Amino acid sequence: MGNRQAIGQRLPMIDGETKVRGEARFAADIRLPDCAVARLLKSPHAHAEILSIDTTDAEAISGVYGIITSADIPKVKGYAPADRSHGFMARGFATYVGQPVAAVAAKDEETAEEALAAIRVSYKVLPAVLDWEEAIAPGAVAVSHDPHPEEEAQDSSPAKASPNDAGHLELQGGNLEAAFADADLVYEETYRIPMLYQGYLEPHAVCAQWDRHDHVHVWACVQSPFGSRNMIMDTLGLPAGSITMHVTDVGGAFGGKDLGLFCPIAVLLARKARRAIKLVLSRAEDMAMANPSPYVHVRLKVGAKADGTLSGIEGTVHCDIGAFRTYWGPTSLSVSGLLLNKYRFGAFHLRAHDVFTNHVGFGSYRAPMALQATFAIESHLDEMARRLEIDPIAFRERNLIREGDTSATSGLTIPPHAGPEVLDALRQHPIWAEPATPSDDGLLRGRGMALGLWGSGAFPASAIAKLEKGGLIRIMIGQVDLTGSYTALAQIAADTLGVEPGCIVFGKADTSRAPHASVSGGSSTIYSMGKAVREAAGDLRDMILARGAKELDAVAGDVGLDTDGVYVLANPDRRCSLATLYDLESDLFASTYEPFVGRGASGGDRLRQSAPCFAGTLVQVAVEPDTGRVTIERVVTAQDVGKAINPMSVDGQVQGAAVQSLGAGLWEGLDHGAEGRLRNDNFLDYRMPSSADVPPIETILVEHAAGDGPFGAKGVGEPPVIPPAAAVANAVRDAVGERITALPITPESIWRATDRAMAGDMG
Amino acid sequence: MTTRDVAFRLNGHSTVIHTEPHRTLLQVLRDDLGLIGAKEGCGSGDCGACTVLAEDEAICSCLLLAVEVEGKSITTIEGLAPEGELHPVQRAFVECGALQCGFCTPGMVLSTVALLKRSPSPTEPEIRDALSGNLCRCTGYDMIVKAVQQAAKEMAHG
Repeated sequence: MGNRQAIGQRLPMIDGETKVRGEARFAADIRLPDCAVARLLKSPHAHAEILSIDTTDAEAISGVYGIITSADIPKVKGYAPADRSHGFMARGFATYVGQPVAAVAAKDEETAEEALAAIRVSYKVLPAVLDWEEAIAPGAVAVSHDPHPEEEAQDSSPAKASPNDAGHLELQGGNLEAAFADADLVYEETYRIPMLYQGYLEPHAVCAQWDRHDHVHVWACVQSPFGSRNMIMDTLGLPAGSITMHVTDVGGAFGGKDLGLFCPIAVLLARKARRAIKLVLSRAEDMAMANPSPYVHVRLKVGAKADGTLSGIEGTVHCDIGAFRTYWGPTSLSVSGLLLNKYRFGAFHLRAHDVFTNHVGFGSYRAPMALQATFAIESHLDEMARRLEIDPIAFRERNLIREGDTSATSGLTIPPHAGPEVLDALRQHPIWAEPATPSDDGLLRGRGMALGLWGSGAFPASAIAKLEKGGLIRIMIGQVDLTGSYTALAQIAADTLGVEPGCIVFGKADTSRAPHASVSGGSSTIYSMGKAVREAAGDLRDMILARGAKELDAVAGDVGLDTDGVYVLANPDRRCSLATLYDLESDLFASTYEPFVGRGASGGDRLRQSAPCFAGTLVQVAVEPDTGRVTIERVVTAQDVGKAINPMSVDGQVQGAAVQSLGAGLWEGLDHGAEGRLRNDNFLDYRMPSSADVPPIETILVEHAAGDGPFGAKGVGEPPVIPPAAAVANAVRDAVGERITALPITPESIWRATDRAMAGDMG
Repeated sequence: MTTRDVAFRLNGHSTVIHTEPHRTLLQVLRDDLGLIGAKEGCGSGDCGACTVLAEDEAICSCLLLAVEVEGKSITTIEGLAPEGELHPVQRAFVECGALQCGFCTPGMVLSTVALLKRSPSPTEPEIRDALSGNLCRCTGYDMIVKAVQQAAKEMAHG
């Protein structure tokens, strides 16, 4: 159907010009008439009972339009005290430093600040639970969740093992005892990964405006307008039809904006204040109050035979998830599944524990838990490869899951994948293939590799394609353009119709206008919305051909469609432009046709969610021996993408993800200190890589058509963040001769490890 | 609170603003003048999303008090190219895929303009160093570097 000219092209983003002109509209750029400034009063304590909140003095200040506290939150059916979405404001208890306790709407920032200072909160400080090991010990203080829910929350999880047990599960299979008895090498080690911040450049921002007593408009940087709208309905008990969620440009999200955390506050505050409000978090607030990835602690014990065949894996995973659960989890179960998903382990036994502490509640971060799990397993296998004296790539290859295997965790059959091709691409790359030349500049050089695996998401999506004045084709979708996906969707629509991509425009439709769409994220957008767009474009094409044929006195089978319109195949000069067809359908007095509106949809599909996407990274580093300072000299990532609809966009995803992951490898980690207060709540101290910190990122796109994504495409946004952190850790190991098992690998941790080794040598 | 009058050149036009002395240039640009291209990414001069040009230098407008621009010439992203046109740096960014979410882009483009003014043929290390004050979380910087190189070439040939 159509032709295949736009797909595979390195097309610039269709809204690129808008963005370079500074004309993109992010949530904080929305300007509403008489809009109040909103500010949040935050808990200074990690754990405290809120005895009373007195807002009388604050409300009396001239220019203060309204103040809300938990007393203003309506009682709702299905209220879940331990749920992150319901925990948008402290209720009875403050459970992390920075948790919103009240919100103020005022005429300007200064007045809002004055009001915050005038609110009197009486706290009874409680012992804070900040260490996960202490938190799960019997007799530990429990992180408080509102003890007086309207209805008893349905708790279907297994009996709690400790007061802060937020979920625990076990994965096991095979005979582990025999596996270890049989092994020639059994290696045990523990790995630690700190809470990581997604680092989107645009802080959370929400605008809310009630235009009728029973309807509110919301603009927020959210990944899922429909999901966030539903969340507001659920947490505030608002009826259907009461909320319109608008799609804005989003300044980066990486999973950290998939909930719409601050929307309920904005909606409640706008109603109380009887005005539009704009709530924009400062960077310090965003880092302390949003939703970073959990702290992860993994102990692994793996057995292998001398020839490199893995025989078994045993381990324990603990995740400090902060004070709340969210819609997915347990996170430790995710980690466990990700430890197992690439290789045939034979026997396995993993214990997974999520632990509540008085830290901010966790959220999604690009391929959630995979970077952490991969750092652990790929460091572990790298060390084992050394001890077995086997090439690390050959070691992975020998044990890689194969098409037709049964997944240990999902029970599904593994479909075809390009894992071997990805490993092959790394093996042949000069970083690996060329022998390491001795350094003559005093620096210690090393190279490391790591492999990651992620599935594509397949979520419900729908789209409308309509013909417009002048022959433009508009795709209406309720999905956010997170990663430049609109451009790839335009390419899909263009090729389906047979027109140039320049004919396609997008309608960013709000939730009251768009057909349902799911989250932008989960490596799902092209996979899911691509199919819906393809169908809608195809539906529209059929209508255009049928009616164009009538216009040309032909039958549908005898006509074709290109940018210049419908034409008779046997006589291409006989044609009718799309612009003319539009005028014929919309002519008031001589209506020839009905309006041309095509529709398409794509269902969620758990089977397709298993479409495996491998990504492998090689890193070469140079380490200054006296200071432990690491320079990343070369990086290459090979990724199984199925079919790159827009290779420039795919390269951009792989490169951006690599730098983000390298950041976790060498520089990043949220530091909440001993009191649970975030110490590095700014971009100077939470050190994300700048352009000067990283080399060019080479990309190798392995196109091994998956079969059921549109035109063979697979999800590409998440897999590339997974292996680089582990690869840089393995490169450092190669360079300095010691393994650092906690991220980030700082000059200090390198110095300590090598210093310790030297002392050991001398001892 | 008393306001001050501040007379300066903004995007080539003589402009007078009235503001309390404690407000930053970023706040005045965004809230008073509707120039929302400059963004607040951190409020402390660490991310560069608020970058504007003062004379020909890239500066963080979140660190500059509005009253400090008296008599100066300020260029924001909105004033970089004549109406309807694109500056070669803007065009190169689009063609090379040097942007994704677009939030860091106005600042990154202006820092690039400042770089190419003082160093028309920068090496890659010079480019990466000059742009190290503009954080980007989406692109990984590769395509930004290529865009700068492409723009430099185009601007050298006039």
